[in-house]
Amino acid sequence: MAEDKKTKILIVEDEEVICKAYADELRDEGFAILTAKNGQAGLELALREKPDLILLDILMPIMDGLTMMDTLRQKDLYGKNVPIILLTNLSASEEKIMKAIAKNEPAYYLVKSDWNLSAVTEKIKERLARKV
Amino acid sequence: MTDGLAYCQMVFDAHENPVDWIYIKVNKNFEKLTGLKNAEGKKVSKLIPGIGASNPELLEIYGQVSLTGKPKEFEIYVKSLSRWFLVSVFSPQKNFFVALFQNITDRKQIEKNLDDAKIAARNVLDDLNVEKSKVEIAHAKEKAILLSIGDGIIATDEKGNITLINKVAEKLLDIKSEKVIGKVFSEVLLLEDEKGVSIPLQKRPISMALAGTTTTTTTTAGSAYYYARKDKTKFPVAIMVTPIILDEKIIGAIEVFRDITQEKEIDKAKSEFVSLASHQLKTPPTAIKLLTERMLSGKTGKLTEKQKEYLNDVYSENQRSIELVNALLNVSRIEMGAFTVQLSEKNIRAIVQSVIYELKSAIDKKQLRLEEVHQQKNISLLIDEPLFRMVLNNLVINAVNYTAEGGTIHIECKEVNKGEALGEKLLAENSFVIVVSDTGYGIPKNQQNKLFTKFFRADNAREKHTDGTGLGLYIVKSILDNSGGSIWFTSEENKGTTFYVVIPMTGMKARVGKKELVEI
Repeated sequence: MAEDKKTKILIVEDEEVICKAYADELRDEGFAILTAKNGQAGLELALREKPDLILLDILMPIMDGLTMMDTLRQKDLYGKNVPIILLTNLSASEEKIMKAIAKNEPAYYLVKSDWNLSAVTEKIKERLARKV
Repeated sequence: MTDGLAYCQMVFDAHENPVDWIYIKVNKNFEKLTGLKNAEGKKVSKLIPGIGASNPELLEIYGQVSLTGKPKEFEIYVKSLSRWFLVSVFSPQKNFFVALFQNITDRKQIEKNLDDAKIAARNVLDDLNVEKSKVEIAHAKEKAILLSIGDGIIATDEKGNITLINKVAEKLLDIKSEKVIGKVFSEVLLLEDEKGVSIPLQKRPISMALAGTTTTTTTTAGSAYYYARKDKTKFPVAIMVTPIILDEKIIGAIEVFRDITQEKEIDKAKSEFVSLASHQLKTPPTAIKLLTERMLSGKTGKLTEKQKEYLNDVYSENQRSIELVNALLNVSRIEMGAFTVQLSEKNIRAIVQSVIYELKSAIDKKQLRLEEVHQQKNISLLIDEPLFRMVLNNLVINAVNYTAEGGTIHIECKEVNKGEALGEKLLAENSFVIVVSDTGYGIPKNQQNKLFTKFFRADNAREKHTDGTGLGLYIVKSILDNSGGSIWFTSEENKGTTFYVVIPMTGMKARVGKKELVEI
């Protein structure tokens, strides 16, 4: 499959090793991968490359994930609709995150340490399939 | 006639002063009463020498009666005879007199004894007064000790009226002893919870002590009580109230309390540290988990059997540290009030079965028998599912960990109505109940009151299962306390333990977290 035909996923994650693990796994699964180390870089990359899905960490330097999501959702039609899966170290039912998700659908929320790679991959595939 | 009688002639000198008398006639009793023999015809100065000097009043009186003829009656102590006499004297003719007399020495003695007794009694009374003032001093000293104790002290009578308040209490509460003594404690002491809501009277520690609910102690950890002052300032307080018991009756209550502002601050700093550390601690094991998973999946190349085995060990050990960090994070979230309860209608049976399913391999590994009883086929309840799962998961994992191989775990879900008994308690409202019991090691009697305390692990639990965190039941209890549920247990060592989780039929109570965790 040609590189530009592949489904594009943007991973925004400041922890290099975690980013690498997701990127390698998703590449093996046949996705084209873009990575960014903070919300600012992620936002620029997202608007330029228009990935099909964004994996987004919440706690990051320069711009955090929730701010990036808010900005993106208000930017344009693409930004408004691109599915986002939030990855975080915080546990579920954190008030701020729940509110952000309710406001910025379609968005999902996964706790990194509770999820393994294959489950996250499953979730991504499921989300992408629904988009069609 | 028992009286003595003497008929005498008075003897006067040239100036008509009585100087002597002569006994003319005496009766038989005379000798008996006076001890004087053959008195007739004799002068008294011969019979009783020195009478003139020792009893001059006798000559005087007799002389006067003999001269004037006016009768007299008197009592006299005759020293030379060592006797008391009651004498009546009259004059049958001038210069003569008749004395009728009785020996009243015995009566006098009794009277004297009576006087002595009176004096003795007065002395005893004086001694008593001395003792009394000594006791009063001792009492004052004791009171001074009580009033000077470094913690706040308030005592009440059996009706809850304040009888004593010490200096520290005066200072902490900004009240004056003389203004509050005699008043009902609830009017003076304004006890509030964290949110500033007054503690209802029947839940006040003093009320509970007066009702005979033994000693009441409030804890320094978790949610505390606050004393509010008149100027609306307040401080967190640790309280201990004990009933005052005299002759097996409750005659009052004594409260000892302490300002725990500092403890609370330390507690908060601790929570913040845990929260910070938890986030930082979570990232490395998460990275390890992801990389290990990739290697184990075979996507990075084929592994030897030994490599696979080791990597599996790495994976599960790493999982343990993730769980510990998660538990610490949950604890700090609970303690900081950054704790949200989000409700939705859920099928309890499905959740219970799914929790059990997830623990199936652990249950099978120890060859435990699992009994699952549902009173109803399907029951929906308003709950926060992740929290409910956490509660159930913790209880069942504990049952698995602390039951020997071949034992039984029994899980029962049922409705229990208000007023019905459950595990030695009566339910206050219609409730949904999950009972988790095991045939395990049990909890030692002397440690049962600490079971829900943070980091506590029972001695036998420590022995049998070394890697517990001591956080599970603390989290479970905090979740239920914060969501309108409750939990308690009965346990006997080497017989087993039964936990009772109670959720009102109206569901858990929703709750919005008060503050965000520190984000790192």
